[in-house]
Amino acid sequence: MLTLGEVHTGLLQNSSSLSLENTAQLLDFLVGQRVRRSERPIAYAVSPDQLTGIDCRLPTHTGSRTRGVGTVVSHAAVTGGHVLQGSTYTRLDRAASNRRLIWSHYLSRPGWVETIGKVDIRDVAQGFLGPTYQPQTLNLGAISARLIDAVQSSARLDRRPPFRTKRTRLRWAVLPAPDQSTEAHGKFRIESDTLRTLELTAPQEAVPALVEFCEDLALHDWLLTTLLSLIEFSLTGPGTRTQRIDRLRPAIDCLLHLWMPAARLDESVLPVWRDLEHRPGFTRQWQTSVTRIRDQVTLSTIALLEAPSR
Amino acid sequence: MLIFAASDKGGTGRSVTSSNMLYRSALQGSDVCYLDFDFGSPTAGAIFNIDSAVRGTTRGGLHDYLDGALAEPQRIEVWTESDRASLRNRPPGAGRLVLLPGDSGGGEFPATRERIERCARLFLRLEEEFDLSLVDLSAGRSYATQMVLAATAMPELKSVRSRWLVFHRWTRQHVLAASGLVYGTRGILDAGSRAGHDYDELVNRLRFVRTAVVDPDSPELEGLRPAQVAWLRECNQDLLELASNNRVGRTMLIGSVPLDPVLQWREQLISDNDVYARKIANLETVEAFSALAKLIVDDAAWEML
Repeated sequence: MLTLGEVHTGLLQNSSSLSLENTAQLLDFLVGQRVRRSERPIAYAVSPDQLTGIDCRLPTHTGSRTRGVGTVVSHAAVTGGHVLQGSTYTRLDRAASNRRLIWSHYLSRPGWVETIGKVDIRDVAQGFLGPTYQPQTLNLGAISARLIDAVQSSARLDRRPPFRTKRTRLRWAVLPAPDQSTEAHGKFRIESDTLRTLELTAPQEAVPALVEFCEDLALHDWLLTTLLSLIEFSLTGPGTRTQRIDRLRPAIDCLLHLWMPAARLDESVLPVWRDLEHRPGFTRQWQTSVTRIRDQVTLSTIALLEAPSR
Repeated sequence: MLIFAASDKGGTGRSVTSSNMLYRSALQGSDVCYLDFDFGSPTAGAIFNIDSAVRGTTRGGLHDYLDGALAEPQRIEVWTESDRASLRNRPPGAGRLVLLPGDSGGGEFPATRERIERCARLFLRLEEEFDLSLVDLSAGRSYATQMVLAATAMPELKSVRSRWLVFHRWTRQHVLAASGLVYGTRGILDAGSRAGHDYDELVNRLRFVRTAVVDPDSPELEGLRPAQVAWLRECNQDLLELASNNRVGRTMLIGSVPLDPVLQWREQLISDNDVYARKIANLETVEAFSALAKLIVDDAAWEML
């Protein structure tokens, strides 16, 4: 059994941080379902799960044709009133019969896709995570992106963001561990400036916690990517020191206080975070960048103090 | 901000001027992207020297996206993927320069509700990450123009700023044609107000750009006979009058680009290398592009008198 997912992360198109109350209203787009939210240790709200029915080919590395029918789960989440995420995932399972069944059968198993015919889950996982463009196959990223689009076009947002930045995508897959006692572990890769992949091996019961883990990882990867590009743009660009510091302002205003890795995660997946902290070392790079920004600000303050008073 | 580049006739230099302007804008530090909405004949790949997309891409471009065949159109990062050495490597301080190519073998298609929505969604997505998104429209009254007018009239795009540039050459026929494209029946303003835009507000967001302009006072014309110069001067005077009578005059003008031999021979980006080292392009041309790049985002230049 295999779990596939893709998380997209971007900046909420609003001039200021959205309050938790407003965030909850923003994500309340399914009638009759509640938006889950938490305030500690960081403001966070997540929309109710939304199901999308699919019947399409699955991506494979070898190019073999496998058909999947079922539903995928997606939800949108906002962290700290600034960062918006769209997350979509599904679990794959062999179908009992070799034909498509009535739709109510698939609806009775929300978040499962049944594969019709022979399937090699390693092949599917590799095809899904691989960089080659495979048209007309299951595209979970498109569903996540649409969900983000839907939230971003809400009339509750003023569409005057403090800065412009790219969305990043984390594509992940969980392969079953050979035995239940194995600790979850994964391989994280940066494929391009917006695409990251994570291949996890874990026991089945860890999957729900791993979904949250992937969302948390995507969030922090986006924070780091965005901060680094803001620093690069500010410090290599033309202008005086004051102008450069001014360009760093959005980072100080919106990003620096959002770093809180593994804040809401289940104990069982913490080892995966620990591995990633060891190498490549997310928090290490974040801390260095934050220190660099603070140093720049301090230097500019000193320069102001030393300037002859007029 | 969204910039729409339109022209009534082909061969006005719309694509080459707008891509050069965008290139200058990227060099000035903005993150910019270029959308090739000239579905009938996608050429932007050639201007940016992307060999794989010279006549449009085969890997899923804007045409396929708007048609609903794919979730996201292909993007080409010019600084890394251009096949021209002087365009590769992003200069320090420069912003991103991204091309969204059309599809080879595309073609015009009517603006349906679904296509308009996809178009609006794309604009919003690009607006998240780019300071400027320039949409290069097909010449004349096209379906592409109708589609973007309908998309920008949607309530979701209400707070997104958009501006229109209408390119024309400095000749009688081109001045009249540009005026017709903007003010005529089924022109931009007419189609725009039908799509739900406010007529006067749309006029305020529209300016003309003159291309391949020969300045009668230019020192380059020294080789001409006095009679020729006198005739040029007279023509220029007539054109100025014609333009102002057809509301294409000075108040609606945002910039003019001089005639440049390089652009006469080949549609390409003019790099600083072409001006300073190889000395094949004129400095005035590059200065005109840079000025245009500054003016399109300068609110003062868009205030109506």
